[in-house]
This record gives sequence, structure tokens and C-alpha cells, in this order.
Amino acid sequence: MALPDKGSEFKSCGTFGWKVRTGEVLWSAETCKILGYPRETRPGLELIFDRIHPEDRECVRQLFDDAKKTGRDLDFEHRLLMPDGAIRNIHTVAQAVGDDPANLEYSGMAIDITEAKRVDEDLHESKTRLEEAQHIAHLGYWEWSLETGHLTWSDETYRIYGLTPQERPVDIEMLREMIHPEDREPMFRKAEEAMLLGIRSDAEHRIVRPSGEVRIVHSRSDVKRDALGRPCQMFGTVQDITDRKRVEEELQAVSRDLRESNAKFEEAQRVAHVGYWIWHLDTDRVTWSEETFRIFGLEPQKNPIDLTMVRDMIHPDDREQVFQTAEKAVRGECRPESEHRGVRPNGEIRIVYSQGDLKRDASGRPYEMFGTVQDITDRKRAEDILKRTQFYFSEGQRLARMGSWASGDLGDYWSEEVYKILGLPGNASPALEQYLAIVHPQDRASMAETIRGMHEQHRGCDVTKRIVRSDGEVRYIRCVGIPVFEQEVFKGFHGTMIDVTEHELLTRELRREQAYLAEAQSLAHIGSWATNFATGQNFHISDETARLHGFDPRQRPIPLERFWATVLPEDEPDVRVALENAVRAGADYDISNFRVCRADDGRIRFLRTIGHLNPSGEPGEYLGITMDITERKRAEEEHERLRQLEADLAHTNRLNMMGELAAALAHEIKQPIAASITSANACLRWLAHDPPNLERARAAATRMKEDGNRAADVINSLRTFYKKGAPPEPEVLNVKDIIQEMTVLLGNEAVRYAITIHSELDTDVPRIPGDRVQMQQVFMNLMLNAIEAMKDTGGELTVRALPNPEGQLVISISDTGVGLPAEGAERIFDAFHTTKPQGTGMGLAITRSIVESWGGRVWATANEGAGATFHFTLPREMQGYA
Amino acid sequence: MKPAATPTVYIIDDDRGMRQAIQDLVESVGLRAEAFATGEEFLRRQSAPGPGCLVLDVRLPQMSGLDFQRRLAETGVSIPIIFITAHGDIPMSVRALKSGAMEFLTKPFRDQDLLDAIQQALQHDSTARAQHAEVHDLEQRYQGLTAREREVMTLVVSGMLNKQIASEIGASEATVKIHRGHVMRKMKAESVVELLRMADKLKLYSHK
Repeated sequence: MALPDKGSEFKSCGTFGWKVRTGEVLWSAETCKILGYPRETRPGLELIFDRIHPEDRECVRQLFDDAKKTGRDLDFEHRLLMPDGAIRNIHTVAQAVGDDPANLEYSGMAIDITEAKRVDEDLHESKTRLEEAQHIAHLGYWEWSLETGHLTWSDETYRIYGLTPQERPVDIEMLREMIHPEDREPMFRKAEEAMLLGIRSDAEHRIVRPSGEVRIVHSRSDVKRDALGRPCQMFGTVQDITDRKRVEEELQAVSRDLRESNAKFEEAQRVAHVGYWIWHLDTDRVTWSEETFRIFGLEPQKNPIDLTMVRDMIHPDDREQVFQTAEKAVRGECRPESEHRGVRPNGEIRIVYSQGDLKRDASGRPYEMFGTVQDITDRKRAEDILKRTQFYFSEGQRLARMGSWASGDLGDYWSEEVYKILGLPGNASPALEQYLAIVHPQDRASMAETIRGMHEQHRGCDVTKRIVRSDGEVRYIRCVGIPVFEQEVFKGFHGTMIDVTEHELLTRELRREQAYLAEAQSLAHIGSWATNFATGQNFHISDETARLHGFDPRQRPIPLERFWATVLPEDEPDVRVALENAVRAGADYDISNFRVCRADDGRIRFLRTIGHLNPSGEPGEYLGITMDITERKRAEEEHERLRQLEADLAHTNRLNMMGELAAALAHEIKQPIAASITSANACLRWLAHDPPNLERARAAATRMKEDGNRAADVINSLRTFYKKGAPPEPEVLNVKDIIQEMTVLLGNEAVRYAITIHSELDTDVPRIPGDRVQMQQVFMNLMLNAIEAMKDTGGELTVRALPNPEGQLVISISDTGVGLPAEGAERIFDAFHTTKPQGTGMGLAITRSIVESWGGRVWATANEGAGATFHFTLPREMQGYA
Repeated sequence: MKPAATPTVYIIDDDRGMRQAIQDLVESVGLRAEAFATGEEFLRRQSAPGPGCLVLDVRLPQMSGLDFQRRLAETGVSIPIIFITAHGDIPMSVRALKSGAMEFLTKPFRDQDLLDAIQQALQHDSTARAQHAEVHDLEQRYQGLTAREREVMTLVVSGMLNKQIASEIGASEATVKIHRGHVMRKMKAESVVELLRMADKLKLYSHK
């Protein structure tokens, strides 16, 4: 294999050969050097790959693989990563040699292009930098070929002219158009001259951007000549100096102003008691102006004074702070400015305001501080007083929500608070129209009328009106105005304005509440009052209280004694005693019923008065109510009357029942008595016979005895009566229903004595055939008995129905009353036996008769607790009805 | 004419003691007395009550004394009644007296009052019975007449002469005289006047 080594003679250009089939590689010494292997290294493909930069390695390998298959030429750039970390750029070119695809062989060159690459990059970079510099300096350049007339602009030139870089080709005509019309002709004339004379031109002119914006540019140009000395090209720069120009103009203006200021300053110093000072930083000596000396109470002198002297002049409390500020200012950390106290030699303290400016030399080193000093003592004091006064004033107004105002010759004035109250902006004019405009429409006319009256008659005002603020809020404003006269000449008004909304609303609310209360009192006939009974002073007498006693509420005050005068003489002592006792004991009282004769119509009314000691008041001070209980009293009396009537009726009913019973009894008893009398007569007649018929007389006497016994029997045993009474109407009775009936019937009676009636009934209370009236009578008697027993105490009445083991139904009626009598308990069922003052003694006797007529039993047991229980049995099938 | 039976005081009262006492009292004055607990009992035993009177309790079981009184009247039993009651009232007594009660006594009564009432009632009964017995006798006699004799009697008591009667009945005067004699004899009349009184009692009236 022949390897050309021509390339090796160029620097950094090595050759190489590659037999594809065997993978054998040959390289020249230069190639070996490029790869950075020792000269004697045996070439190998993998050695090459080892050196190739890892990022490029795969790509190169791919190219080689492709070459193996296709025999295509290789031409690519890649990087090498050298063992020392350096990166080299290599351009590899290789060509397949020979025609035999089986014995494909490449020969090529590896060129180190690292340096070339770097130069390339540097060039690009410097160009970029230039562009950037141009951009930053707003400096563009241009070239104008005089031969072709072709105009070339740099990017920045485009920008200066307000165009996008390289947006379009430019020519001279276009350039001409863009130059400010006023500058156009002189500018071109100058350019032509320059060209003709072959000199540099330098001009400032204005251009007009497409947006219409005018910019000032500085344009320089130079003519380039060809070998023959003929001008062939113009080259130039263009710089946007608009901003610089403006700064320059401003600077000029400033320096002019400064000069003027200086002059004024001198003048001002004198007038304003402002002195100046110069602090020489190098020597720490200070130059003072005359005024400065005067401020510090010293005789003016020409020579600079020592800084320590200045230090001594400053109030000890402020000294450190002043010098710290000064030092900071020297370091450029803050403005030299301070307000502090100075001490004059005579000990007088002055407040001064001092400010300065640091001066630096060309190198920027501060060398001096120049400043002014002003005596602000008087101003400060006045300011302080004014500030404080204003503060107190405005704070007072703010707290009171009170503003002040003035009008007329006094000058229209509204205080800050007036604006706040009216909800107007602080810059609104303090004019009447402004005010009227926000007055509530309903109040506006009357307000205008008030104001008119004020002006016409020069009289003051005190009105409360509504205003509507801009946010729609309605406020109540009280406005007080006082006319001002100076030497009896009317000058205008001044006054106050107060926001009384809360107060007004509260007042209205209070009035409304009072109206409601008065209405409620009037409806309920309850009056309220507050009185000190120790002093006889009335603090409060509501309208209704007055009316209850027949006084006209409008004719207050009504002395306590007048109230006493209405109390009926019969009731007065009791009321006075009750009241005096309560007052003496410091206790609450409730005089539930006394009569008054009303002062107006003389009608008698029943009143109740309740007084509560006012714990926070003076001794004898009571709050209370008085109410008219006449109607209730009447209702109570009516109720009592009805109740009495009812009770009487009940009693009458019972008496009637007794009457019938007595009649029935009378018949039963008359029979044996009549028989006995008749027998007695017969007996006498037998005895009167001659001789007396003793046998018949004895027989008659015997019958008399029998009849007598019989009469006793009748009385002792009412059972007989019931057996012989009217035959009952048999019907099937629901005991439950009867108990219910009786509970309802006796409900009123029970309620009156605070007695509750319960029934605890077996759900399976049987229906029993029997006489309804008799059954009712039994329940009625026993339940009434129970109620009677609890009349004074109240209590519970319980009716139970439970079957007993013998299959009879046992009804039990329990009370929680007085219980059974300790003695004679066994006699309670006897006729005419009673423990009650109004009892007939028949109730239980009748009950027993009825129950026994059914074949039942009745008995009483004492409760474990209070009261007694009466029991009676009802057979499942009552006697006589089976 | 049968001799008059001993008058009896019949007592009806459901109260045994009462009725025994009354019976004893009645007997103590020598009168006959019979006592019954109920009206039915009295009616059952006494198919034809003899002379006497009734002492009746107003208040009786089943049938009240007043109802019983009405019932007796309906069945044609005529016996004076003395009511006794333990609790009589005026309307009741008025009603009883209107229905022919002799007396209305309230228990307990004075024995003499009852005995007087009984005496009066018996007197009344006796009179009534006597009158009743006479009419009965006349009726018997009257039944003994033949049809022609009754005809003649009727005409005689109407005041006709024999001749007029003869022409009336189409018989001879002599025949009329015979019939007339029979009538007078059978009726035990002494004179025409007596016959006339008999006819009045028998309520025989001229059909003219």
C-alpha cells in the first residue's frame, strides 16, 4: 500500500490510509502528532476513535460504517479531546481508492483547523462587538460608492433613522427625504463642497424619522480616492446626539439659573437671616458669613474659625447627632441637613436649620462643604403654637363632629370638619350654594327660608336639617349661626355645624319608644312611675299613671299628695301602712287591691300597685307600676258569684235528691209506724172489752213490737229501699265511659281546688250490665268525697279499675286529702254519719246501698301517704241482670 | 127473702203488718174482717163478696188501689171503698172520691176515723143491698108472670081501665079482670098504687 505523504509537509495536516476489509490503518507522523500519540505508536482505528471528542464519536463512527458499505467519500469536521483536556478541531477528508469493492481502501487527510476556527470566531465576535458599540453609542456608519451610487448603511444607521436594520435598500434620494427640510439644502451643499475639495465634512443636522420624530444627528464623512486620486467612495459615520444635545441645553439653563440664584441668594441671606458657612475639610476650619455670626450671637469676623468652636456653639444634646450627620455627609452617605439648637454666648437657645453641599475636586475627593444656616426659632415657635392650636382645634372639632364656619364680610370659611360633616371634598368652595345643594330636598326650602331670614334680619339661627351626602347617606346636621357686629355694623355670621345624626336618631327612637310604651300602658291600663317616698318627690309619672287616678297627664307635675287624695278613705290607712312598712324595711311591695275615686269623673276604680326599691337610688326611691284591676276584679267577682251559684245549685241538687230519698224513706217508715199505731189502738180496744180480750190485746202488742222493729229496720237498712225502688233500666255499661263522664263533669270542681284527676284503667275494663244512673251516682259520690277531702290542700284524684282474683272488677278512687277519721272509721258508711259541716251523711250510705244492691262491696283504706282510697267491687255479671 | 149475711170488712194492703193491724182493729169492735195482700187475691177468693166494705191501700204492687177501684166498677161489683195511703195527695184523693170512694185516709190515721168510715160504709152498703134485694124480689115475681099478665100489668100501671085494656089486647073485660087478679097476687101487690111503685122500681114504663 502506497501512502502519499505530501500533506504532511503542511503544518498540522496529516495523512492516513484505511483498509476496510482488514481494518488496518496507516497514518503519517503529522497525523500521529495531531492525534497526540508518540511517534512510534502503532496506528489503529480504535486509537483514532479514542481521541475523537465523546460527543462527536458516535457520529463519526456512523460515517465510517456508512463508508464501509458504500465506498462513499468522507468529508467532515469533528473535534478531538486531547489527554490534556484541550479540544482540537479537525477537518477530515478521505477518498476510496481502487475499484474492487471487496478490497475497499480509503486514503485521506486530517487537517488541524483549530487555529483557523478560532480566528474565524474572533472576527465574528469583534464584528458583533462593533455593532454593539455602535448601537450603544448610537453611532452608525455608511458607505456611498460614487461610482455606482450605491449606498450602504450599518444596522445602527438604520436604527438612527428609525428603521429596522436592513429593512430596505437606501439611496441618496431617500436620505434627502429623511433629512429635516430646514437642514436639507445646507447639508447637501456642504457635502458637495467636501467632495469637491476632498475634505472631511462634519455637520450637525436634524433628521425626521418615519414616525415624525425629529432627532439631531452628528454626521462625519470622508472621501476615499482610487489609485488615480479620484474620489471613488464616501465613507461616514452618523451619531444620534439628540439626548446629549438636550442635556447640554439643560446644563446651560441650569448654569444660567445658578448664576441668577447666586445673586438672589446673597440678597436673600440678608433678608431671611440666612447665613452660609464653608467647612474646609482639609484644615477643619470653618468660614462663616456675617449673618451666620449674627445668628449665633457673635460679632462678625473675617477669619475662619476652628471647628471645635462650632461644636461648642451647638446644644450639647444635639451636638453628636449634628456631627454624625456631617461625617456621613462627607462620606457621601447622606445629605448634610439638620435642624438643631444653637447656644448663644449669653445662653440663649436658637433653633437653626442648616443644610450643605459637598464639593469635590477633579479626582472626586471632597475638599469642602458649603452650606447655609437659618435661624428658624421664631418661625418654629409660632409654628409649634399654631400647630398645637390647630391640632387641638381640629381634634376638638373632629371629636365633637363640630365644624365652624363664617360668612359675609368675615370671609367665607369652612373648617376642615365642616367638609367632613358635609361629605364634600376639601377643595370645594365654602359657598352657601354648595351647602344648599346637599340639604335634603324636603328640608331645602325651609333651610333657604331660614338663611334668607338670617340675612334680612341679621338674626342668628339654630336649626337641625337633613343633608344627603354624595354617597347617599342622610345625616342630621345642627347648624348654629350668630350674627357678628362690629361697631354696630353687621359683618356677617359665624357659627358651628354639628353632625347630630346619632343623637337625632336616638332621640327619635326614644320618642318612638316612649310613644309605644305610652300606648302600651294606655292599652293595658298599666302606668309606670318613679317616686321617692322619703322625700315625696315624683321623678316619673307616666301618662297612664296620671289617668288611672283621673288626672290630666298634660297638667303635670302632680304632687304625691294629690295621688293620696284619690285613695278611698276606707282603704287609705291600709295602703299607707303597707307602703310605710316597705319603705322602712327597704323592701319591694305589692299592694294588690285598693280603691281610688278618680279625680276627673269620680268613678271608683280598683288599682294594684307594685313598687321595687331602686337599688341604685336614694333611700325611699321606688320604681313601680300601677294597674287598673277593676275589670279583672269585676270578672273575679262575677266568677265567684257564678261559682257560688254553682255550688249552691249542686247543694240544692243534693238536697233535692235527699228530699226524694226522704220521701221514699218516709213511705217505708210510715208503713210500719202506721201499722204499729193501728195495732196499738186495736190493743187498747181489746183491753177495753168487758172482760178485756187479753189474748187479742197481746197479739196486737206483739205486732206493734214487730212493726216498731220493722220501722227501725227500714231506717237502718236502706238496702231495702233500693231493692224496692223503681226497677232499674238494665243496659250494658262501659265503666270507662262512665269514669270519663264523671271526670269531665267534676272537672270544674276539681280545677277550682287545684285538684288533678287521673284515671289508670286496665285496658280491658269489661262492659257490665247495670243501671247507668246508679253507677253514675256511685262514682259521683265517691269522687265528690275525694274532692271534698282535698278542698283545702289541692291534690290528686286517681281512679283505677283492676280485676281482683275472684274475677270481680275493683274500682278504687284515691285522694291525697285529709284521710280517714282516726275514730269511727267503720261508721263512715252509716246513714246520717258525717264529719263535714254541710254534709248530709247520706253520700256513703247511699253508695253502699247501691253497691250492695248489685251484690258488691264497698270499703275504705287509708293510703300509705296522704289521703284515703275507697274501693268497690263490680261483679262481672251484676246481680239481677245476668 | 134471705136473711142478710154478716157484713164483712175487706182489707187489701200489701204491707202485712198494716193489714193485720187493721183487721185486728176492725175485729176489736166486733166486725168481721178479711185481709188480702193484693187486689187479685181478693177477687180470687171472693167470687161474690157479701155485704161489707173495702179498706184499700192506694199503693199496691202490680195494680194500684185506684186502678183496682175502676176495675171493680167495670165488673159490676158494688162495694163501698175506704182508701188509705201513706203519702196521699189532694189530686189522688179527689180522683178516688169522684170514683165513688167513701173515705180517703192518710196513714197513720186515727182509729176512730177508720172505724167511723167503716160504720158509715157498712150502713151505706146495707141500704144499697136492701134496695137491691127488693128489686131483685120484684123481678122474680115479675118473671113469674105470663106474657099476657105482663102485658096487662104494663097497661094497668099505665092507668088504663079494664075495658080499655080489653080492647087493647083484644080480650073480654072478664078475661082482663082474671089476668089483673093474677098479676096482683103474683106481684104481692095490695093495691094498684103499690103495683105502680113496683113497676117504677122495675123500670117498667108504658111504651105508649
